[in-house]
Amino acid sequence: MTDASTLEPLSFSLNGRPVTVDVDPRETLFDTLRERLRQTGTKGACLEGECGSCTVLLDGEPVTSCLVMALQVAGREVVTIEGIAESSQLSALQAAFVRAGAVQCGYCTPGLIVSATALLKKNPRPSEDEVRRGLAGNLCRCTGYNKIVDAVLDASREGEELSETGTAGARA
Amino acid sequence: MFYRPESIDEALALKSRLGAHGTFLAGGTDLVVGIRKEKTRVEHFIDLTRIAGLDGVYRDRDRLRIGALCTHAALEREAITALADACETVGGPQIRNLGTIGGQLGTASPAGDVSVALIALDADCEIASVRGTRTIALADLFVGPGRTVLSPDEMLLSVSIAADRKSAFYKIGKRDAVAISLVMAAASVAPDGAVSIGLGCVAPVPLRARLAEAHVREHGLSDDAIERAAELAMSEASPISDHRGSAEYRRAMCATLVRRLLRGLR
Ligand SMILES: Cc1cc2nc3c(=O)[nH]c(=O)nc-3n(C[C@H](O)[C@H](O)[C@H](O)COP(=O)(O)OP(=O)(O)OC[C@H]3O[C@@H](n4cnc5c(N)ncnc54)[C@H](O)[C@@H]3O)c2cc1C
Ligand code: FES
Ligand code: FES
Repeated sequence: MTDASTLEPLSFSLNGRPVTVDVDPRETLFDTLRERLRQTGTKGACLEGECGSCTVLLDGEPVTSCLVMALQVAGREVVTIEGIAESSQLSALQAAFVRAGAVQCGYCTPGLIVSATALLKKNPRPSEDEVRRGLAGNLCRCTGYNKIVDAVLDASREGEELSETGTAGARA
Repeated sequence: MFYRPESIDEALALKSRLGAHGTFLAGGTDLVVGIRKEKTRVEHFIDLTRIAGLDGVYRDRDRLRIGALCTHAALEREAITALADACETVGGPQIRNLGTIGGQLGTASPAGDVSVALIALDADCEIASVRGTRTIALADLFVGPGRTVLSPDEMLLSVSIAADRKSAFYKIGKRDAVAISLVMAAASVAPDGAVSIGLGCVAPVPLRARLAEAHVREHGLSDDAIERAAELAMSEASPISDHRGSAEYRRAMCATLVRRLLRGLR
């Protein structure tokens, strides 16, 4: 991929920290994250925007990183699955996925957690239909989706209880 | 090279210099997929996403002007039903956060949901180059699948649509999200009774059903007039058969959707 064309420096914020990396102008953000920065939590399957496994937050909004050209993120904020949990503790949403059995092979899980995190941030108390629509860009071959939807609804209820008791639980 | 112009003038100067060797990049949801599938080759990227002010929506009397960089996500909350509904059906949230109006029109796909809704809202588009700007009816932008009347030095700046019309958008497809439509149609009715109708997936380009429009303009929205308009819309369509559906089915659905739209709008 690197032959012929020369590399260009790219600076952006990754999971809250500034990074600078030399990239090929023809590579996607997905390539940069996995191949150059070794942030391999972000998965890829179709590389055509169809499956959502490569979802990251770009300036807070979920996008498929396989369709974003690397140099487009210069100066912007990227959050990957590695940046979702603060410290080594699972976020409330991640814990809800584990409890609900929403993870089988796990390949789709990083993308789903990123999408669902964005959904709950915008809409902390979504209806089931809103959850399904919010996750419509993420495919899962294993679970049949019901347990995933349950996990997100469960996390939203928990987020509400925690914020009612005044603790810092609304992280999801 | 990967160019990142920060103003419209800078982008136009680049495009004028590079011509067909330079390719505009907005959300990348069509372009990057095309590169991946080896259908498109890009020599020089001209990334438009750094240009400030091209993603806005402005009200100008009875028209709404939408900047080329406005995303589908930003428009799914608009009060104009056909536009909001079409934008809401595009891909999943990730695609709607990336995909733009300018990119949708630049792709000139007969399956472009938003293009069909815009046509049904009597859209004009504003086109610019270093030579100046011009405005054309949106339906006249499209030449064929993937082809527009844009010259190699031109760029889409904005689309302007009727803002005060009752409108609706219907789509028939296999799945709500992330699926190409089988047939879609949209229509709007102006306070003075003028009607615009857009059809998708039934011709090489997103189609404006001018014969059907003329018929209801003259005869109103009675049952008989609607029936005749649906037949006319069907006659204006020239669908193909593919693995998603046959030409006959598409033609029949075209009439069904136009009938349903016009009944709902009277
Ligand atoms: C998984 C998936 C699902 C999708 N589902 C749907 C759907 O349901 N309905 C639908 O209608 N579409 C759908 N799309 C297509 C796509 O999202 C839209 O067509 C989108 O609007 C393209 O915009 P963009 O900004 O991503 O364009 P880009 O990919 O950046 O550009 C597309 C083309 O337009 C040109 N261009 C971009 N901006 C301009 C400009 N200002 N002036 C001139 N030329 C310009 C580019 O050079 C390029 O040729 C889907 C795409 C994906 C990947
Ligand atoms: S790998 Fe990006 S959407 Fe499938
Ligand atoms: S758990 Fe296997 S793809 Fe979702």
